[in-house]
Amino acid sequence: MTNHQVRLQPSNIIVEVPTGTLISEVIHLAGIDISQPCGGQGRCGRCAVILDDESGVRRRSTIRLSAEDLEDGYALACQTVIEGDVTISIPEQERIERRLVTDKSARKVELPFAYDPVTMQSVQAFQIHLSPPTMQDNIDDLSRLQKALADRGYSPIDIPLNVLRRLGTVFRDAKWSPWIVIETPTPPPGPARLIDISVEPIRPIGLALDIGTTTVTAYMVDLTTGQVLNSAAEYNDQINRGEDVISRIIYAEKKDLNELGVLVRQTIDTLLERLKLRTGIPPQGIHKVTVSGNTTMIHLFLGLPPASIRLTPYIPAANDPQSYLAAELALGVNPHASVYCLPGVASYVGADISAGVLACGLADSEVLTLFIDVGTNGETVLGTREWMVTCACSAGPAFEGAGVVDGMRATEGAIEEVWIHSETYEPTIRVIGGAKPRGICGSGLISLLSELFVTGVVDRAGNVKLDLDTPRVRQGEHGPEYIVAWSDETETERDIVLTKVDVNNLMRAKAAIYAGFTVLAESVGVELNDAKQVLVGGAFGQYINVENAIKIGLLPDLPWDRFHFLGNTSVLGSYMALLSHDAFEHTREIAQRMTYIELSADNTFYDAFTAALFLPHTEISRFPSVADIWDQEKRD
Amino acid sequence: MAVEIPKEKWTSAVREVTLGATSDEGGTRSHTITVGGETALPFLHFEGETPNRPILALDVRSHKPEDWSPLLRQTWGKAMEDPATWAQAAEEAGADMIYLVLSLTTTDGEPNTPENARAVVRKVLEATGLPLAVVGPGQAEVDNELIVAVAEEAVGERLLLGLCEEKNYRTIVAAALAHNHLVQSKTPMDVNLSKQLVILINDMGMPLERIVMDPTTGALGYGIEYGFSVMERLRLAALQGDKMTQQPMIVNPGEEAWRVKEAKVGEGVPENWGEWERRALDWEALTATTLVHSGADILVLRHPETLRRVRAVIDDLIGPKSAA
Repeated sequence: MTNHQVRLQPSNIIVEVPTGTLISEVIHLAGIDISQPCGGQGRCGRCAVILDDESGVRRRSTIRLSAEDLEDGYALACQTVIEGDVTISIPEQERIERRLVTDKSARKVELPFAYDPVTMQSVQAFQIHLSPPTMQDNIDDLSRLQKALADRGYSPIDIPLNVLRRLGTVFRDAKWSPWIVIETPTPPPGPARLIDISVEPIRPIGLALDIGTTTVTAYMVDLTTGQVLNSAAEYNDQINRGEDVISRIIYAEKKDLNELGVLVRQTIDTLLERLKLRTGIPPQGIHKVTVSGNTTMIHLFLGLPPASIRLTPYIPAANDPQSYLAAELALGVNPHASVYCLPGVASYVGADISAGVLACGLADSEVLTLFIDVGTNGETVLGTREWMVTCACSAGPAFEGAGVVDGMRATEGAIEEVWIHSETYEPTIRVIGGAKPRGICGSGLISLLSELFVTGVVDRAGNVKLDLDTPRVRQGEHGPEYIVAWSDETETERDIVLTKVDVNNLMRAKAAIYAGFTVLAESVGVELNDAKQVLVGGAFGQYINVENAIKIGLLPDLPWDRFHFLGNTSVLGSYMALLSHDAFEHTREIAQRMTYIELSADNTFYDAFTAALFLPHTEISRFPSVADIWDQEKRD
Repeated sequence: MAVEIPKEKWTSAVREVTLGATSDEGGTRSHTITVGGETALPFLHFEGETPNRPILALDVRSHKPEDWSPLLRQTWGKAMEDPATWAQAAEEAGADMIYLVLSLTTTDGEPNTPENARAVVRKVLEATGLPLAVVGPGQAEVDNELIVAVAEEAVGERLLLGLCEEKNYRTIVAAALAHNHLVQSKTPMDVNLSKQLVILINDMGMPLERIVMDPTTGALGYGIEYGFSVMERLRLAALQGDKMTQQPMIVNPGEEAWRVKEAKVGEGVPENWGEWERRALDWEALTATTLVHSGADILVLRHPETLRRVRAVIDDLIGPKSAA
């Protein structure tokens, strides 16, 4: 057998090995430690090395490496064998970690379009110079203001009573040059409205909200520049009154509609408080609000009885409610701010989807596009600029980290990625912020389920195999479970586990979402594979790992470059509508153009759902890339 | 003018599964039975083959079941006191196979034990040369304990062991694998679930040639049309080439029919329901013959008279083969 010289950099060690030796073995022979969390199965990508020359090696598998990686000479040490003399550079571990996370880092929210506040924005703030009253010019304060504003084109104008009450004092303190905030009617005609007056300069500020069943998200926006000043997200305080929209509706019906309104306002107040801490802008400094959310959330926010949403023929009180004053809604912002609710399509396809379609650009797309909003309700839209069909299915809150024993939001201390060793079943975890883990967030749950499946800790139905020879599986309080972190490794000093019940919740969530878009594709007679782009929105949309999501059968098995992760598209749409009234009108037009497919009309969805309730799917031929990995694992 | 009968062309077939092993094959059965192999929908002889006829098994219990209908207890009489005698009586009544259910408790109310299960199976194997199915009482932990012992005791006999359900299949499959037996997979009336469990069992390394699937059914008037439709869809998928739906199907019309009021109750029912025994037998026979039409390969029955009637129906259905 021929021996080859392998030079390892940066340590400059030369090892002589026979043909067919794995690079990982060479590295080990040289006495160098490299990380192999998956146990050398080619799944984690942590053992990537750089080759100076491709001719000296043969790659067995390149999963986990992108075309760009390959071009740069990256190879997986555990999947590449030596066939000639070669020099191999071992990158620092940190560099690899960075490389792995780049695709997942949260992006700064950018202006969605060129923003011109003068032509697009209904709320303006400016300083107005009034001539001080004299014995000759002795008209009253209100008339003086009305006259000055009429000169600038604001006539007629509504002035709320409690602004009127402060008029005199502010004018005099400001030496007759007060700052004012005015909202022009949208659409005209109608009176402009004075929202606020102040001695100090005022920046007009807007708030874009997305009220999700599980998570409420807020963007605080400078309406002069259009920039997002800060954003915040928090679990919806209504969760304790039911995890999904149906149980919320029942609560509103049987117990207390008003209480649910109070709870969501409490969540919004928490967010406003947090935004105030970060920006210094108090809630009263917010002059305009746009609200997106599913139809039920909008109903509860407005205090509309939601009962009919739940009952055939599923008719909401309003798909496209008008705008209301913050004071009427008891919302803790400036009481004279207008609150605009975005229009929805139907009882189960709400404003969050109109907003999402606006934000993701599907309504203007030339190519067949699939848009998925991964949330408590998994809504899907399929179409092009010519046509759009949509459906909704109840996925549950599992991917938002709720309804799972150790689930949490994607914040500090959340396990966001997991690798499991194929032989020892020992996990390696990555925690947001790098501290001790407190729980597992949505992307961590997807990664964990994917690893449990591929390593065979759970069977394809998601049953934990208690007969495995490892302390990591056990019969727990809630049935069989896998221990992700022992109590002495966690912040909470309790074991972090994934129970069989959690797995079931995740399986149901992913099955509902996948079934939704298979049914949608069938309803219009197109193949899922024909989708040229898949746009993924949702609370965790920008952190999700596409490979893991495909492995568990959440996303269709398409080339990775067709997927685009957009983050929370509902709040993005809300943000766009906040900036521009035309954008708001566009959501209305989008809502009217979408054809809603009712999944409960026949058995098709249920069949697709039970077929998807398997890892990755009962028809593994739908997931050829997963079938390859699975066959390989079974052989090993 | 000649009428052209339209024919469906199928690309695939139901998998053949052989139950039992003779002494040449490492067992003690007098003969083996092969089921499955159909290349068309049931009995459409002009479209394909039905190489193996549906077989009829009789339900035999390790201990006399006190909750069975008096009609059944009257028919089997003293034979029910001893599983070996009962199995012999069943063979004499014309059964193709014995379906032995291990009871949760022994006759004196004690919990059934692995030792006892071994002894019962040994006795039944000695009493009859028919292929044998052995299933547990239906409680996961007890099933696993008893069936593991049975698998070991009857090594090489190619018993049909069960019940494998999605929540509890690994232990039984492992035991069947280790000791050369077959398994019965049981799922609640759903095409996808049936298929998924076959995949799970196959993933453990069990060859598909050793899996018989039980799609579950209901008695006449109690959801049989739903069960029929699930079986029909499984069979259509099988013929179209879907590998994981190609297992022969076993159903238990005896158990289903004898637990419904129409079969169970003799008194306090409307007079126009007719004579009890006739009604009860009709119920089991009609349930079973309906399932024969839906593609069942193995039917488990309780009453010997039902077995006689259903066999006559199968004979008629198989018969036209020569005429075609």
